[in-house]
Amino acid sequence: MSSETTTAREPVLEITDLTVDFHTDNGVIPAVKGISLNLYPGEVLALVGESGSGKSVTSMAVLRLLPGTAKVGGTIRFAGNDLATLSEAKMNGVRGKDIAMVFQEPMTALNPTMRIGEQITEVLLNHDMCPKDQAWERAVELLGRVGIPEPERRAKGFPHELSGGQRQRVVIAIALACNPRIIIADEPTTALDVTVQAEILDLIRGLAAESNTAFLLVTHNMGVVADVADRVAVMFRGNLVEEGPAERVLLAPEADYSRRLLDAVPKLPEAAWSEIAGIAEGVPGQIVQIDGVVSEPAVDGATPGPGSEAALGQTSVRHDGATPVTEAEFARESGTEAALELVEATVQYTRKGATFTALDAVSLTIARGEIVGLVGESGSGKSTLGRAALGLAPLAGGHVNIFGQPVRDRALLNRRERAARARVGVIFQDPGSSLDPRMTIADCIAEPLVVHGWQGKRASSALRRKRVAELLDAVELPTDFADRYPHELSGGQRQRVGLARSIALEPGLIIADEPTSALDVSVQASVLAVLRELQERYGFACLFISHDLAVVHDIAHRVAVMYRGGIVEEGLSSEVLVRPQHEYSKRLLASAPSPDPVEQARRRAARAILAESVA
Amino acid sequence: MSTLTKTKRPRGNIGTFLARRIFQSVIVILIVTLIVFSLLHLALPQGPALGVLGMQATQEQIDAFNHKNGFDLPLWQQYLNFLWQLLHGDLGASFTLNKPVSVAIGQRLPKTMALALIGMIVALIVAIPMGIYQATRRGKIGDVALTAWNFVIYSTPSFFLGLILVIVFSQWLRWFPAQAPQGSTVGEVLANPAGLVLPVLTMALGIIATFSRYMRSATIDNLSEDYVRTARAKGTSVTVVVTRHVVRNSLTPVIAMLGYYLPVMFGGMIVVESLFNYPGMGLLFWTAAQTSDYPVLLGCVLIIAIATVVGSLLADLIQALLDPRTRGELA
Repeated sequence: MSSETTTAREPVLEITDLTVDFHTDNGVIPAVKGISLNLYPGEVLALVGESGSGKSVTSMAVLRLLPGTAKVGGTIRFAGNDLATLSEAKMNGVRGKDIAMVFQEPMTALNPTMRIGEQITEVLLNHDMCPKDQAWERAVELLGRVGIPEPERRAKGFPHELSGGQRQRVVIAIALACNPRIIIADEPTTALDVTVQAEILDLIRGLAAESNTAFLLVTHNMGVVADVADRVAVMFRGNLVEEGPAERVLLAPEADYSRRLLDAVPKLPEAAWSEIAGIAEGVPGQIVQIDGVVSEPAVDGATPGPGSEAALGQTSVRHDGATPVTEAEFARESGTEAALELVEATVQYTRKGATFTALDAVSLTIARGEIVGLVGESGSGKSTLGRAALGLAPLAGGHVNIFGQPVRDRALLNRRERAARARVGVIFQDPGSSLDPRMTIADCIAEPLVVHGWQGKRASSALRRKRVAELLDAVELPTDFADRYPHELSGGQRQRVGLARSIALEPGLIIADEPTSALDVSVQASVLAVLRELQERYGFACLFISHDLAVVHDIAHRVAVMYRGGIVEEGLSSEVLVRPQHEYSKRLLASAPSPDPVEQARRRAARAILAESVA
Repeated sequence: MSTLTKTKRPRGNIGTFLARRIFQSVIVILIVTLIVFSLLHLALPQGPALGVLGMQATQEQIDAFNHKNGFDLPLWQQYLNFLWQLLHGDLGASFTLNKPVSVAIGQRLPKTMALALIGMIVALIVAIPMGIYQATRRGKIGDVALTAWNFVIYSTPSFFLGLILVIVFSQWLRWFPAQAPQGSTVGEVLANPAGLVLPVLTMALGIIATFSRYMRSATIDNLSEDYVRTARAKGTSVTVVVTRHVVRNSLTPVIAMLGYYLPVMFGGMIVVESLFNYPGMGLLFWTAAQTSDYPVLLGCVLIIAIATVVGSLLADLIQALLDPRTRGELA
């Protein structure tokens, strides 16, 4: 944003010609091929790229935390000192004190058997930041500073008692403890829900501004970059391909790869923010101007705003397109029953005697040939809905029909119900672990054919092989992949195998649970393209569960927003994701970061207003 | 991120957990006695009479013996009688030792427990640091050498190992006696520590080989955890990361294994005690098996079964105590 002003200052971190090679049994693998970067005080520098581009390796090289098989070349200077020349003891004096790190996985980054307070005092005492008897007090203070409620009580607790977002705050508290000059944050929000992600990013922005801390933010999420970064460095296969102010790189990328990377990011159309935020303010109809600058929202203190918790419980919103689009438009099959129909479906779990309603009388209909996106945060019940549709979650009330046949316990299925069940395909989130590592790709794909007795029980293996080849072709994989094993494939290729398997029986309905959330953006784009093409060719209906609003907008005809076990809003994607009516949908949309800095600024402004009306 | 394949985990509080486990334990012990009871009668359909009375016993003597001990009753009735006695704390009387089984076991059990405890403590004092050492120097010469050594020990039967120790340390070097201390109480046995060295060593070597492997792999697993990286990024040195963070988390599964290892250890005690003529439960069991002393055999099996279920219960409780994550969800 301010390259002239930053170059005038001394960089706090200078990386020059950094190379990292991994020496493995299969020879030397270069991970970083000579990159140079400067980091200035008070700025947020985003290091972006896809998995394997070397961005995480670069950040670990700064702290000298790479495994012994890595050989590091070039120089990394911190405040004028070459970090490579420091002794291990001296380096330990730098780690956590001058350069701190926030890691990607908040769920595993903390020691599960150590009290949270102790994990913070450890870093304080390592660097003699305070006397021993005051360390605990400081730890509690830090927890309060990163926004953990009841810090005294939490300090005595253990990591598993906290949510993912709270754990990430603890990791940030550890990083902040010694007022470091640099914080390296490696995908700090990747594992978090969008609304939590937005809060963590706010925290980072605030810290960079307040305490002049320099952030090296490693991420693959262009929305995150647009939200917080001042400058961006783009990495591709170990090389730095582009570097510049965030706005310039995001709006007018110069390098070919940056452009491709940005193009692959699914984007939501510009939402009607003025309208949304205007309503959020509690004055229906009155439009608030939010063009970069937010006008002071006139919050009426006497009456609770419509964004309060009470208002979030408002009755669900159904747009004109809430009911399935007419048969004429979508029906490519004969028959009149919907592909999937949930009527007042309720799923409850009992835990410690208390009953937890995961799905609260939810009704949803998916017509044949229709893709319905299901969005919401973790714990909103969207996966439970998927499980209920598959007959994997016991219904406490209501009923679920697939092609007019009730879904019930497997043991009770009659022949017609079983036939209906065979018309449902499933795609799972993790392409790595949903394929049996000991089965060839051909066997993985052919499994549903065998299980459901495709072409009669005695279908010859030659016939099945032919079908597998057809399916591989359909998902645009070379047919000689049939004899390979899952570990020989990349994540995107494995997910295509998952796709091929799910369409093996030419299903009328596919249930896809976060099918692309584990993939890089460019890979995600190609997998989605294949899914869309298959859908057009075979005309199956699809329940597409995802937390990524832009992906859902891209692929789904209709969308349903879930919140606390219920559907709060339902309608055409182009309606719900542009002009959301329900408070929760608005918040969700405002929290989803956009790679367009201008749009992102609007979203942040809208989010601030929405948050204020809640408070 | 939630997935479609999430499974529900049962939960309960510590009280219901204990109640359920104790109930399960009683069932397990009952089943064990039933199986052993049946096996004994399958193996020796004519009963223990010949073994106890000697091969020259007349048919009248045998009949009298069988009638006196209830062996002429139907099998199910014999079993019910056994259970009925058991309910009153009566394990019956030994055929050969001229005393009640409970007395015989009561004299022997403490000595066996003392030997087992000493052996276990000695073994763990060596095995745990050894595992940590190997894990932190994985693939280096020290790790490879210790792994090789442990494999040799692990694959050597303990009676053979014991014999070698006797030949080397007792016959050649004459450092320690080949005979374990004799005595009727634990105190008397412990008064002669030199005599305990070889039995303890025989036992400990095998345990070291097993548990240093457990400790090594648990430590290696933990060293690759993300929290280790977090701790290193705080500026904590590798040594302190291992001692402060990794060891505790690695000990949890190892200690759990300890509980399940109790029955295995008892099997080892039979060999060690008969090899060194140590007057413990193992030797009692061994002689009872040779003389068809049914009441003693059943009593010993009962004790082993109880030790096994108590061991696994303790293992679960200790694990819960060490790992705050499992505290709330024992079941």
